[in-house]
Amino acid sequence: MHGDETTGKDLRALQQKFKDGGISRRDFLAALGALGVSAATAQSHLARAAALAASPRRGGTAIFASNLHGPDDQLDPIVFTSGIDYTRGRACYNNLTQILDHLTLHPELAEEWSANRDATEFTFKIRKGVEFHDGAPLTADDVVWSMNRHLGPDSPSVIKAYFASVIEWRKLDRYTVRARLSAPDRDLPVKLGEKQAKIVKRGTTDFRKGIGTGPYVLESFEPGVRSLHRRNPNYWREGPNFDALVLTAITDPTARVNALIAGDVHLIASVNSRSVRLIKNTEGVHVNSTPSGRYGGICCLKNTPPGANDHFVRGMQYIQDRERIVRSILKGHGQVGNDHPISPAYGADHCTELPQRPYDPDQAKWHLQQAGISSAELFVAPVAAGIVETCLLMQANLKKIGFDLAIRQVPTDGYWGAVWMKEPMNVVSWNMRPTANAMLAIQFAPGAAWNDTYWNNPRFGELLRMQLAETDPARRYGMLCEMQRLVHEGSGMVIPYHLNILDGVSDRIHGIPVVPLGATGAHEWVEFAWMSE
Amino acid sequence: MLIRAVLHRIATGLVTLVVVSVLIFLGTSVLPGDVASIILGQMATPESLAALRSTLGLDQPAYLRYFMWLGDLLSGDLGISKAGSGAGTGGTPISEMIAPRLANTVHLAGAVALIAVPLSLGLGLAAAARAGTRLDRSITLTTLGLVSVPEFLVATALVLVVAVYLGWLPATAYVSGTETGTALLKALALPTLTLVVVASSQIIRMTRASVLNVMSSPYIEMAVLKGLPRRRIVLRHALPNAVGPIVNVIALNLAYLVSGVVIVETIFAYPGLAKLMVDAVQTRDLPLVQACAMIFCSAYIVLVFIADLASILSNPRLRYPR
Amino acid sequence: MSPPVDSPSDISHSQDGSRERPIRRLRFSTAGKTGIAVILFWSAMVLVGPWIAPYHEAEFLDEALFIVPGLDDPYPATDFQPPGAVAWLGTDYLGRDTLSRLLYGARTTIGISLIATLLAYLIGITLGIAAAAGGRVLDSSLSRLNDAVLSMPTIMLGLVVISAYGSSLPVLIALTSVIYASSVFRIARAFGLDIMVSDFVDAARVRGEGLGWIIRHEVLPGMILPMASDFGLRFVYIILFLSGLSFLGLGVQPPQSDWGGMVRENLAGLPYGAIAPLVPALAIATLTVAINLVVDDISAHHGGKLAGEII
Repeated sequence: MHGDETTGKDLRALQQKFKDGGISRRDFLAALGALGVSAATAQSHLARAAALAASPRRGGTAIFASNLHGPDDQLDPIVFTSGIDYTRGRACYNNLTQILDHLTLHPELAEEWSANRDATEFTFKIRKGVEFHDGAPLTADDVVWSMNRHLGPDSPSVIKAYFASVIEWRKLDRYTVRARLSAPDRDLPVKLGEKQAKIVKRGTTDFRKGIGTGPYVLESFEPGVRSLHRRNPNYWREGPNFDALVLTAITDPTARVNALIAGDVHLIASVNSRSVRLIKNTEGVHVNSTPSGRYGGICCLKNTPPGANDHFVRGMQYIQDRERIVRSILKGHGQVGNDHPISPAYGADHCTELPQRPYDPDQAKWHLQQAGISSAELFVAPVAAGIVETCLLMQANLKKIGFDLAIRQVPTDGYWGAVWMKEPMNVVSWNMRPTANAMLAIQFAPGAAWNDTYWNNPRFGELLRMQLAETDPARRYGMLCEMQRLVHEGSGMVIPYHLNILDGVSDRIHGIPVVPLGATGAHEWVEFAWMSE
Repeated sequence: MLIRAVLHRIATGLVTLVVVSVLIFLGTSVLPGDVASIILGQMATPESLAALRSTLGLDQPAYLRYFMWLGDLLSGDLGISKAGSGAGTGGTPISEMIAPRLANTVHLAGAVALIAVPLSLGLGLAAAARAGTRLDRSITLTTLGLVSVPEFLVATALVLVVAVYLGWLPATAYVSGTETGTALLKALALPTLTLVVVASSQIIRMTRASVLNVMSSPYIEMAVLKGLPRRRIVLRHALPNAVGPIVNVIALNLAYLVSGVVIVETIFAYPGLAKLMVDAVQTRDLPLVQACAMIFCSAYIVLVFIADLASILSNPRLRYPR
Repeated sequence: MSPPVDSPSDISHSQDGSRERPIRRLRFSTAGKTGIAVILFWSAMVLVGPWIAPYHEAEFLDEALFIVPGLDDPYPATDFQPPGAVAWLGTDYLGRDTLSRLLYGARTTIGISLIATLLAYLIGITLGIAAAAGGRVLDSSLSRLNDAVLSMPTIMLGLVVISAYGSSLPVLIALTSVIYASSVFRIARAFGLDIMVSDFVDAARVRGEGLGWIIRHEVLPGMILPMASDFGLRFVYIILFLSGLSFLGLGVQPPQSDWGGMVRENLAGLPYGAIAPLVPALAIATLTVAINLVVDDISAHHGGKLAGEII
């Protein structure tokens, strides 16, 4: 610690976080206490922070640098897969529903909605008076056309699995649409808040113009270079705050941090945990570290050796020095994983009763001996923060118990097609999904397209369906808990850690919502953040 | 005779270009995965892949695509990239994507050449004129030291000192795309400096070596014996005869500045052509990869041709094609 | 990364037939002797490095080693530690011992580069002589193919090949040797052509010697020394080329260390003043300078004749 300097810096960061709504009043006071600030002084800091939380200022051009971009950048929402696409999508389009602070659901283009008793029919009232950027009015036809693009076996939609139970979207009148489902799904409105479920103009074939109802009008778009967006003067609600946005990416992680510190950009995604200290020690910039459900993991395919052997998988799980991974690889910006995807960031859906699997080389050794396996090959690509390092640590620790793990590092491009779900041991990264059920379903439902460990558990599949139909909160939780236990005990997944989302932010940027689903408030900063002088 | 030599070299260059086009087409076809699987990434399923592939028209045989591509190329059409269109039917003409990036690349390469060429010729000549002195040795050791430092270390160290600690210049070049005038010059300063360091070392070494090489020939020894000042000997007698190799190394460095500076473009987030090609390879945008590769190879062939021309003009013995 | 430099124009300066010069004893300057000492040092490290390294290259040093008595932090940071008793050259971004990685890396880096350079020479000289001695059709087809390969940016070629075949030692070695063979080819062909038209080859023909004899006794000996001085530089370019590949994430497989990759993976330590990225950079620099000092001496021995042709 460097005494006052660091405390002062932490204090400012804390105030910023409080006024941005990132932490509650109680947490704010508690954190001040931890910094050694007396109660009376703390109250005055609180007052100052509250005063700073004044109304957003209009104006300024915000420059955002994501971590990846390229010629495959695009503006067709149903095939969005990267942070820069999501951010542009947030600027150009709107959803029917919106997931905001702490995963709360809000109406967006749908003013209200209702479901029938068994959640197989949902009716949405579309907001009136909303205009597309080209002046055309938004109607039920646009919504039906946009949503139907996710349906059917030929749909290239990347989230069509979410809507597998949707039979059709139908227009009831000019401002009412209805979704008919083949099986109950109480989570449907939440799924409609996902980054790919954007509403576009009916019949769009060329998406490069980015015509939507969103807060910014696309001015220019060069894939792999940048896009420029101007404030939508006819936006249907208050805001947005910036005059213009420049959305780009700086792929080199060190260069990205340097650009933030040098003031070239105001907001960067995906800060390397090793750079956090540097940003913290620099005036004028700070880091938002948001616990999330995002994780990096190791898949052991259950349908082939060595993963087919339960002892082998257990050995790989016990050899994870999870505390050290979080401590020294993630530098504290993450949480210990428990070999199932539902981290504490999922709030009430996270099963608190499940005991944490410890680092236990003896147990690992015993299990590997039971499996009768003494070597394996693991395919690694830098698909998630910390995953390559985690595999190297795992390799070193396995070496100590006499197990030889060969690591084959491959490039990220082509990885998902050539390695993932194909090689018996590979690494994976999963982003957080808006509900625990959606996350568990997409990765572990029997026969699911992305069941990446080929773990098929009929009971688990049954629980998934039952939970979507269940209305009693306690029973819903019970089912979720049982599913987490089944994954923890039976699947081929090793999940050593969950990642915090690390955004680098200029102190001039305020009001970024805290949404753990993606970088920079799950891209919601675009509409809600603002810039001070 | 001179014209025949030039024509011979032009013909050679054209044949090489055809060979290059075949190699590029074959080379790109060994890449695993295609643009469809890259667009869908982790989200790919067999059905969505097949659907997107047929949307993008990726299901025709390779030789057919080669001749179609070559035909388009000859008529000046670089093809359409799927960039920006997602699952839609639109696409971006590759010439439209390449033009601004080629301009960026030319700006950067030009700025580097403007500084590096006179600087390294001067230093190289100085070292040669005073071969064996302390000046020569320090120039030699410095250039050797710099040539051996990986480019990304030079770039990162420069950014840290000049942009992050001192705050004199931006850490990235051209990020917002709105820079003009002084701001643009400032944005280009660091990448230019990095590349000047990289490119100069070799030109300096080549200049020194070539001049020294000529200096050992009998007619120079004669000039020395006649008591002409060493400086005059170097500039008037040795340099003109050392032009060939020096022009060559300059041409090669220019070719490198056009095609090989992906690391500098990455570190400074500079939207040049090399980074475009790396991105295109990584996203399996094959028409774009092929177009970039053709530009790089053509640039090399043209630059080497110009260098050859300079050598021929400066050395009559080379005017007769072998 | 630096561009491969060689002289693409046909070489004509050695038409006076350098092999007729009387053999002088090769004498090294002080600089050259220093160069030889450094090269010998690193060669020794290639042989014994892994045995004298204090730790294994893949080993994450135990946190307990870094506990400072008096500070009750049971889990002190292990990454980017300054040099000390535990790690003489400090630790890297994962808390591994930099010295050990440097010593292991010497074998990988110098090993790959040496094998690749040798292979590049084998391929380049073979094809170069074939082109020089094999008649017009073979010569021009080999030359055009070679020009095409030369015209491709090396790093892009590397990117495509490694994207296609993955990064393994054989792929890296094959890739590098093919890329650099194209430069060797040019030089070998030019020397070959010069020698093939020289008077002593004509004389041998008149004596009735076969092509094989001429190549073995006249062509090969004539190009060995000039090629040797080119060898050193080619070797250095290959080290730098590998470090460029590692920048794009295409280099040597972890946890194996190579010097260029070590610079790259520890770049994040630069703002914290860590020496982890500087140590391997320094190692590359010492080796480069040493090799070049020796090369300078060898070419000076040839009256500076070669330097202009083969930098």
